[in-house]
Amino acid sequence: MSAAARHVLIVDDELPARERLQRLVAELPGWAVAGSCSNGSDALALVGKLDPAVLLLDIRMPGMTGIEVARHLGALERPPAIVFTTAYDEYALQAFEAQAVGYLLKPVRRERLEEALKHASRLSTPQLHGLATQEQPLAARQHVAVRVRDELKLIPVKEIRYFRADQKYVTVRHVRGEDLLDESLRTLEEEFANEFVRIHRSVLVAVAHVEALERSGEEGYALRLRGEAEPLPVSRRQVAELRKRLAGA
Amino acid sequence: MSKTGAVERAAEDRPPRSTLVPPALASAAGGRAAGVAPASPLDASLDDFFIPDFCATRMVFAVVLIAELLAVTLSLARPAAAFLTELARISMFLQWLGLTSAAVLCYARPRLARLTVAQSSVAVFGLLMVNTAVISALALWAGTGFGAAGIDMALFPREHWPFLLRNEGICVIVTALLLRYFFVTHQWQKHVKTEAHSRIEALQARIRPHFLFNSMNTIAALTRTDPARAEEAVEDLADLFRATLRDSHSPLRLKEELELTRIYQRIEALRLGDRLKVTWDVAELPMRAFVPGLTVQPLLENAIYHGIEMLEGGGTVIVSGRVVAGEIEISVTNPVAANGPATERPGNRLALDNIRQRLALAYGGRGSLTVEQSPEQYRVTVRSPFTE
Repeated sequence: MSAAARHVLIVDDELPARERLQRLVAELPGWAVAGSCSNGSDALALVGKLDPAVLLLDIRMPGMTGIEVARHLGALERPPAIVFTTAYDEYALQAFEAQAVGYLLKPVRRERLEEALKHASRLSTPQLHGLATQEQPLAARQHVAVRVRDELKLIPVKEIRYFRADQKYVTVRHVRGEDLLDESLRTLEEEFANEFVRIHRSVLVAVAHVEALERSGEEGYALRLRGEAEPLPVSRRQVAELRKRLAGA
Repeated sequence: MSKTGAVERAAEDRPPRSTLVPPALASAAGGRAAGVAPASPLDASLDDFFIPDFCATRMVFAVVLIAELLAVTLSLARPAAAFLTELARISMFLQWLGLTSAAVLCYARPRLARLTVAQSSVAVFGLLMVNTAVISALALWAGTGFGAAGIDMALFPREHWPFLLRNEGICVIVTALLLRYFFVTHQWQKHVKTEAHSRIEALQARIRPHFLFNSMNTIAALTRTDPARAEEAVEDLADLFRATLRDSHSPLRLKEELELTRIYQRIEALRLGDRLKVTWDVAELPMRAFVPGLTVQPLLENAIYHGIEMLEGGGTVIVSGRVVAGEIEISVTNPVAANGPATERPGNRLALDNIRQRLALAYGGRGSLTVEQSPEQYRVTVRSPFTE
């Protein structure tokens, strides 16, 4: 590895695919393989450790898709540039074209790889958002990523009890504590519309964690969540919608 | 089967006079050819002719029925006369007319089939009008004859020209209606036939592009690291694609189908490594039985695409087969990811619908495909009658 070489992290669940990309990258002057891994969570951990310049990221992987990995990386202060790789995926390709995101088709050609690495750039928030909404089948994330110092911490969506908007950040309250998230409550509400329901101007609650809806005070309501000592106040305007969702769940 | 058709087929089977083949050999060859050879051009145009075969029992019955209905209509339209006498008179005349017309059309059909639609329509008008004139004349003649013998005249027509002209008029209208009806029905049947054909073509099993490009990628990787395996993979891929290009109408032996499925498994194993395990439990199956081509392979493909590929640690697909009450029953079971994406891609249902329709086309109601689903497992079972 020459000192000036820029580092690439390869993420693909298939061994032959990883081996081939490793060889191709190693053969390119000015580029070096920082490492490789076979799934999204390992990739997020390795990005913090290895600080690669570019991520070659497969889309269709078990557990966490490449798109989801990219969205989590967006939470980093200095995320690596991303080039997606795919053998065939109509949905994803449409989204990439629409968002002008770099991608490579497998089997990857050497010249194309060189070109893509050279022009690889970080994904902007609108691009990430665009990918998420256009990629219909992959829309909702399985985790949300929060930045703890310079590393990413993944919180499974299933463990989240509620999101609460404060002035600038959103607090994620989950089974293991609380974290700060750099996303807006509106986009979270859109993305997780199936699992979460708005109970207040600034609070989004996981339907699965609700224990009971109870009266509080004169005409008010409060929502009790499993594992939470304090009930959450429910705004009167949201009561009907909340009742409907609880009945459906 | 039409009488004329049988006669023509017999003519075809006769060895050509000019060849010097011994008769025994020639007839053997002719017999063999008749078994597989496509119909002669004449037969094809006959099958494709819009005027139906009036020699067929079904058609003769229809003619009798239509003639009788027409007789009832005409008698009802004449309230002045006694209904039953009128009905008897008109029925007798119309049945004669109908049956002779059917005979004329039956005889003329092979010749008419060579003409255009317009020409044959005019010819049919001409033939039927002449026939009507002849039958009308016979009726008048018979009436005069019986009248002379002193038999009751009520059953026979008296005036010559008005009778003939009325009959010709009715003949033209009924012929026009029937020709139109035959033409439209024929067009519709032709449409249905081509539609069914194109549906079979469209249903011809295909390999997913996802699989093709991933396999190409694997082969590209193996050419450097393990050329021998890359070579094998290319051979396997070629076999698999050749199978998908086969004529979709001809079934495969179960042995061949399972072999193809194993070839598919071999290619996927290169890519997925230890993640893919397949347990085969098919020893009980009659390997000589016929199944529609590519019914088992797509099930394994689905199990891998939607099941194994979505599991980080991989899993085991179980392919098992039994014979139950004369039916071949093959099921493919795969584990499913616990927190898989909530919305499944439509590809899976498409593939299953495809197999379902091909089973329906091959066996009618006797083939089936069922899906059983639990949070951990997905199982597809295909049942088809045991045909050897």
